Amino acid sequence: MLRFIATRLVQLVVICFLISVFAFLLVHLLPGDPTLAILGPNDTPAARAVLLHQLGLNKGLVSQYGTWIMNIFHGNLGASFLTKQTVTNALGVAVPIDLELVVVSQVLALLVAIPMALIAALRPNRLFDRIATTSTFAMLSLPTFVAGPLLVLVFAVTLKWVPATGFDRLSQGLGQNLKSVILPSVALAIGSVTVYYRLLRADLIATLQEDFVTMARSKGLSTRYILMRHVMRPSSFSLLAGAGISIGTLFTGAFVVEVLFQLPGIGYQLVQAIYSRDYLVVQGMALVAAVAFVVVNFGVDFLLTILDPRVRRA
Amino acid sequence: MADSADRYDRRAFLARGATTAAAVGLAGVGLPTLLSACSSTTTKTTPRRLSAPGIGTGKPKRGGTITVGLNSEIDGFLPSTNHFDNSGLTYANSVYDTLTMIAADGSAKPYLAKSVTPNPDLTVWTITLRPGITFHDGSPLNADVVLANIQSLQSSALTGQALKGVVSSIAKVSDMAVAITCSEPIVAFPHYLATQVGYIVAMAQLESQSSTKPVGTGPFSLVEWVPNDHMTVKRNPHYWRAGLPYLDGVTYRPIAQDQSRENSLKSRTIDLMVTRDPNAIRDLQDNSGFQVVRNPSVGQNDMDFVILNTTVDPTSDPLVRQALAHAIDVDQLVKLFGAGIAKPNLSLFPPGSPYRAADNGYPKYNLAKAKALVAQAAPNHGGSIKVSLATITDPRLLNEIQAIASMWELAGITTTVSEVEQVTFIDNLVTGQFQAYTDEMFAATDPDLNYVWMSPTTANPPIALNFSRNKDDALEAALQRGRTTSDPTVRIQAYQEVDKRLSADLPYLWASQATWSLTGSNSVSNFNNLTLPDGSRALGFASGIFNPTPAWRED
Repeated sequence: MLRFIATRLVQLVVICFLISVFAFLLVHLLPGDPTLAILGPNDTPAARAVLLHQLGLNKGLVSQYGTWIMNIFHGNLGASFLTKQTVTNALGVAVPIDLELVVVSQVLALLVAIPMALIAALRPNRLFDRIATTSTFAMLSLPTFVAGPLLVLVFAVTLKWVPATGFDRLSQGLGQNLKSVILPSVALAIGSVTVYYRLLRADLIATLQEDFVTMARSKGLSTRYILMRHVMRPSSFSLLAGAGISIGTLFTGAFVVEVLFQLPGIGYQLVQAIYSRDYLVVQGMALVAAVAFVVVNFGVDFLLTILDPRVRRA
Repeated sequence: MADSADRYDRRAFLARGATTAAAVGLAGVGLPTLLSACSSTTTKTTPRRLSAPGIGTGKPKRGGTITVGLNSEIDGFLPSTNHFDNSGLTYANSVYDTLTMIAADGSAKPYLAKSVTPNPDLTVWTITLRPGITFHDGSPLNADVVLANIQSLQSSALTGQALKGVVSSIAKVSDMAVAITCSEPIVAFPHYLATQVGYIVAMAQLESQSSTKPVGTGPFSLVEWVPNDHMTVKRNPHYWRAGLPYLDGVTYRPIAQDQSRENSLKSRTIDLMVTRDPNAIRDLQDNSGFQVVRNPSVGQNDMDFVILNTTVDPTSDPLVRQALAHAIDVDQLVKLFGAGIAKPNLSLFPPGSPYRAADNGYPKYNLAKAKALVAQAAPNHGGSIKVSLATITDPRLLNEIQAIASMWELAGITTTVSEVEQVTFIDNLVTGQFQAYTDEMFAATDPDLNYVWMSPTTANPPIALNFSRNKDDALEAALQRGRTTSDPTVRIQAYQEVDKRLSADLPYLWASQATWSLTGSNSVSNFNNLTLPDGSRALGFASGIFNPTPAWRED
């Protein structure tokens, strides 16, 4: 187990290093000259030379990377040339939003998907299974840019139960905070419900046909006990792997929802920074989003090893 | 990184820019009104009780806060280096004051200034300040601060270019007065002081050059600014205008998507919103639950238009520009995208403006003529006319340019359509790397405020504020006459000539006046009813710029 974790940790470090290299090179691959974007009409040879020096762009790539990564280790991701806000502060705004969106949306998705999958798997191809499968298939066809406005129209504009846009921090009150994240979370959860439901249902049906389940039934164990004690664990591997990818992706993939609900999360700020070629913000946000993705999946791998010893031996 | 603050923002730079930052304007207002208006000192703050959107009819109520949805975010609060678009000017109106302010009749009246008086030939303007005004940090407003502010503006790459043709020197006259010498007579000088260059910041902010911590004399002071999320201000208890403001605080929220902003208002997530989306205005203007304030009917509003680069092939060819103009069916365009709100306008000046020529000669829609001009011009351009038309990344604007492109295609002009991200857009405009862009600008309280965008003196590379690079001596002569004469009749003739020259040169293909509105729920009152110190009414909301000073909550 420890060897497995150590191996994975080494892999994590290597991947994070590669991510940092790509994040660093990302800005150099963007079309256009970042100094021109920054200077605009003030672009003179003298001004450009000063800016190149300030940004360290006049040095070699390795030197630039070295400086950049050392600054990161000191907690200095630089500052937006546009707003002068430090990238660390921008992340301080963005990360809580994304974390909450991810947690709330995935909890909602799992709360809906798991019971549905259990009921459907117990009686496959019956009425509930057909309704659930069809409706989740329909949900899969409902992109967030459609679901989001529909939710706003009903619950914010018409019923006025929740705000249409914006994020209220936890410090402003739990109720207010939850009100501000519920609609975007539901919009995000819709897609996840479908994926989780289908993954879990398929695995549950397969597991329920295993000999050990027949044996358990023949012993007279209750269905509920069999499901919870013997079936859920071996059926949750695909769900867990899917959740890992889904959660990791949401750190930047929630961009559409963030725009619709005006939530300055990582995806939203990253795209804004790309548009304005806000050099250091792009680097910092991309780095954090990518590292978050990798770390989440590392966590999922770790969980899988606990749930399924075969993974350790693989 | 210090220089980075001088980056240009499309909205700020094009829609108003450094010199045209105030609201709408002077059209129809003669110089005598303008000058006489600049010496009043009476302080009256009681709002007028009129029954109209944004005008309170009851007793002002103190306390409470409001949330305002804005259409964009800005890059900071320092007038000399940051780009004040309509949102930036709204922020600035909360924390700063201008030396003058535009009255409802279009005249520029003293605000922080007690008076703004010219010498006989209008080349030296003396600004005398009101006594007893302090900044948020407790420091006094005096001549030294104003002197430092204007010197800072002059030395800035952003505002310096615009002031270059206006201010030649500044001197302290007394502890409370400065004299500004202009390079030539500038009739509209007080109007410049109501724009971005008229905001006065505290000496401490000037010295630190902080763009994130504004220190002004304004009705509110900064609590917190989280870019792309919100800006919160609280009431300035020592505000120099007795009794104002009524609100305890204001939170501004940039909500870029028009529909999201409208939904936020309808769901009571916000109390007020600024929009220029005709569909939103149409949806809300007949709804009794909201108060819709539209652009004022005086002065020049922003115009929607296609700007042509007159120095690159094929748009350098006047025949091609004429063909492009004749090929656009503006009525159809406005019908398609104006939601019944926008109106066609084939002139720099709005209908009713004395500066608008009765017949400016602008090419009307005439497809046959467009085709004939294309046939005439094509041999000089390799046998066909190919034009690249672009706009910033915005679904609504993309639809518009696709419609324009299809009209040009009908005339035989091969048109490629593209979107350009905001930063590149402005860079391309100032450096001349474009053929045809759609854009929106020219809101001005006085037509002279648009001088910098049209004069041949600003059309030279590498950086041209006259983006079309149109060089027309007759146009410059007319602009100069309008700038330097105090005779209203001569000014009218001059700007009518400007209108005609622009129609002949065709650096801009006009479409319609931009539609702006400030819409509030009925829980907010009097949000468009600011009175000036002399008791007259301020112009109020115009071109997307809001001033929160007179607003109060009804609930």
